[in-house]
Amino acid sequence: MMGISIGLGCVLGIIIGFIIPTIPYTASQYLAIGIVASLDSVFGGIASTIKKNFDIKVFISGFFVNAILAILLTYLGEKLNVDIYLAAIIVFIGRMFNNLGIIRRYYLGKISEKAHAKKNKKEEN
Amino acid sequence: MKKIKKDKGTLILTIVAGIVALVLVTSMFIQVRTINESKELDLEGLREDELKTQIATYKSKYEETMEQYNSNKNKIAEYTTAINENKETTEILDQELEQAKTLLGLTDVTGQGVIVTLTDTQEALYTYTADDLLQLINELKYAGAEAISINDNRIINLTDIAMISDSLIVMNGGKNRISSPYVIKAIGDPKYLISTLSIKNSGYIDQMEANGMKIEVEEKNNIEIKAYSGEISSKYIMEVE
Repeated sequence: MMGISIGLGCVLGIIIGFIIPTIPYTASQYLAIGIVASLDSVFGGIASTIKKNFDIKVFISGFFVNAILAILLTYLGEKLNVDIYLAAIIVFIGRMFNNLGIIRRYYLGKISEKAHAKKNKKEEN
Repeated sequence: MKKIKKDKGTLILTIVAGIVALVLVTSMFIQVRTINESKELDLEGLREDELKTQIATYKSKYEETMEQYNSNKNKIAEYTTAINENKETTEILDQELEQAKTLLGLTDVTGQGVIVTLTDTQEALYTYTADDLLQLINELKYAGAEAISINDNRIINLTDIAMISDSLIVMNGGKNRISSPYVIKAIGDPKYLISTLSIKNSGYIDQMEANGMKIEVEEKNNIEIKAYSGEISSKYIMEVE
């Protein structure tokens, strides 16, 4: 169910992404920051699911508000001639690696647990 | 009740996941396409580093072009002077050519000189022959005539005068037929011309008059002699190198 929904979203996204006209190059900088923020939220959501403290409200608000805030900050940085987007990128990517680490460790733990269980079963036999 | 609530939560989560995937993938594709397109785009879309390299390239190109421009300019100046020099040479050559043409008899000329009219008469011992004309022309040339014509046929260096019958004289290889009266125009110093022709006894006039021929010599200030009308062509002569 969840997989179907995500797959459908991806396919639709590809189609819409090809139909919609491209944005001006200067605006692409903001969109990039927005994408990074959204990706961070997605990984954050997955990590929180693993940690069993997933909250859909937090996830949705994080997904959109983080992206919008990142874009606004980048815009502000542009106006002030400070590369604020660098800070945003560092924070988001750093968090992304953090979350990825959590996800990785969780699945590693699961795999090793399974192997352990198998071994135990064999020994019992 | 609890199960329904749980199902509702899962449904919302599913929808949210789909929307999130949709938004993310859409924006990513737009971004990728934008970047791909702007790679070939103009300067406005370039980053600072790219702009720097572009400026450096343009600068070196500009310098190269400038160098070429300068060398071309110098070349043009050289060519201009060469052209001017050539112009002078051309003018000299043109003058020489004109002179050569005039001397050859290919142009209409005018000047002071004499007109000799020879007419056949009944009282004369014989009619004028080609030899008489040749002698007259020779004497005129000796006296310094620069241009001579008989009945408006220009005498050039290759002109021949031959007699076909008693009253038919041809010039220039048979192309021009002439008959009495023969009007010979000669441009040159009239004094020399007349004095040469009228030497006592041995002069041309006296010789002719001794035979009872009619000869009139007239001095004129502006005689017009037409150009040679035929073509001058050579087949056998070649310049020795």
